[in-house]
Amino acid sequence: MPVEDPKEHDPFEDRFARALHDAGAGFETHRDLASAGETRGRALALRRRAAVLAGAAAVACAGVGGALLLPGGGTGAADGQSVAAASAAPSPAAGQDAPSPAADGPSPAAGGSGGITAEEMIRTLKSLLPDGRISKEQGRGTDDTPPLPFAQVVHDDGKGGGAVAVSLQRVEPGSPQARETTTCPDRTFVPHDACRTTELADGSMLMIFQGYEYPDRRAETKYWAAELVTPEGGHISVSEWNAEAQKDAPVTRPEPPLSVKELEKLATAPVWRPLADVLAEGKKPRPDASPSTDASPPADAGTPPEALDEGLRKTFVSLLPDGLKVKKQGGQASDYAYLVVDDGHGASMVQINVQPDMSDVEGQLFRDGVETLPDGTKVVQRQGPGEKGGQGVVMWTVDTIRPDGMRVVVSAFNSGAQHTAATRGTPALTMEQLRAIATSPKWRDLL
Amino acid sequence: MRNGRTKSDYTEFVTARASHLFRSACLLTGGDTHLAEDLVQETLGRLYVKWGRVSRAGNPAAYAQTVLHRTFLAHRRLRRSAERATDLFPDLADPRGVDSDTRLTLLDALGRLPAKDRAVLVLRYWEDRSIQETAEVMHTSTAAVRTRCVRALGRLRGLLGEDLLEHATA
Repeated sequence: MPVEDPKEHDPFEDRFARALHDAGAGFETHRDLASAGETRGRALALRRRAAVLAGAAAVACAGVGGALLLPGGGTGAADGQSVAAASAAPSPAAGQDAPSPAADGPSPAAGGSGGITAEEMIRTLKSLLPDGRISKEQGRGTDDTPPLPFAQVVHDDGKGGGAVAVSLQRVEPGSPQARETTTCPDRTFVPHDACRTTELADGSMLMIFQGYEYPDRRAETKYWAAELVTPEGGHISVSEWNAEAQKDAPVTRPEPPLSVKELEKLATAPVWRPLADVLAEGKKPRPDASPSTDASPPADAGTPPEALDEGLRKTFVSLLPDGLKVKKQGGQASDYAYLVVDDGHGASMVQINVQPDMSDVEGQLFRDGVETLPDGTKVVQRQGPGEKGGQGVVMWTVDTIRPDGMRVVVSAFNSGAQHTAATRGTPALTMEQLRAIATSPKWRDLL
Repeated sequence: MRNGRTKSDYTEFVTARASHLFRSACLLTGGDTHLAEDLVQETLGRLYVKWGRVSRAGNPAAYAQTVLHRTFLAHRRLRRSAERATDLFPDLADPRGVDSDTRLTLLDALGRLPAKDRAVLVLRYWEDRSIQETAEVMHTSTAAVRTRCVRALGRLRGLLGEDLLEHATA
């Protein structure tokens, strides 16, 4: 019992402790949280691999590409953790027993019975495509592991086949992930031809993205996507390519098979909603809940993360040395921001990550050349080539970690972006200036 | 997570700990089992990513609990405006013979407390963590934990009444 000072002992405290144990012991979940956690872990690992210091736009990119990784390795699942149906349903192991769908196709009833089959996904996708020859059908349902309903076909309107895929996932409404999913990636990191996000009448957010399978354009495979996130946390993702497969397939036509309008229509087709709801079931109003309770969070919850990002970026700008002009700023995660600054000698990108709770990787990050400041903050400075292949790009980094595990790492480049060629000899900030930013006490106020 | 051994260690650990984490999360969320599931998944996901290092460092159970609490607090920080309505009772699983009125009342009262109060109470009285450990998990001082704990108990006493939990002591 955690009474450390006998003088403070209090019978109420004892009763509360017992009641708390009783209350806690009564909770059981029917969900396979272990598997679900592992799936999310894999997705996280993917995201991190893509995002290490490249920051949030890369994360957004991973989100955009989330559905695409599925057919091959089954490692996909952007960050929206998909789950099997009906977490609170009394039936055991939700999603394990996906019944065969009704003959007339997907319907709300299909959702109610607890699962989505691969056939159902494929049939629904096909029913929504314009006329053309369909081949190479593949799909998965909620009874697969991980339970990420997915369908992909090759559609050929006579002018060349292109892959079209749809996946259903779930995101936490109002979460940073939900927001990132429908936030257009920054061109600084993910080159693309067009991208827009619109809010639909029902509060859903829809992003239409027109970009490339390979951001470095080593092949001209175009990748277009519609990402729809409903207020309930359903995430419907439709992707298409001007090739018969996502990767390693020759370009067959100038553009993917569906026009932007058709792509949008496919993603917003009402038939997906009940299927997505199967996944988002956990977010449906509880039996005793008033409907308004669940309706309000997405709108409200959208604001605070924005504010947090805003705070990070503002602090970053406020810490810049005099004489630098901010030409561009961005960042799409609560712990990342970047600025493109100019001191009159050319653009220079500066980026920052502020991450709490990094003590567990301190040994890896702060191994060599570590300097410890009087307050216990550890500092490592690095100067080397950029990581994204821009010609002649150098990256100067000051990495710091406070004794409580808060890490602040600042990097500057001698270019306006990492993947573009150097525009100047050195970054616009000196190592000392980067260090002053990274060790500023102001970051503490953000967390 | 590359080698098979590490993977099976992770699976074994998670299978053994998921239920406890879920219960902790339910208490943290004042009985919101849906949010609790999300928090546990997020926690296990983070654990997965760092498993090699965590398992080598020892005591992954404590580490997982710490991640859960921090995930919860981060979630609340981001969603302050989305506090669930206090008249909303969670759907509850098998009460296992516990006086369900008492349980509901307790969870409801927990749900009315600020997130950090809940975190302190759950760490101290459910996890049986010391004040020092609680302070470390919450990135705060031991003095702040003591103060918060006393205040949180005071709030609960106000919400539940001095004797309301008498039933639970049987």
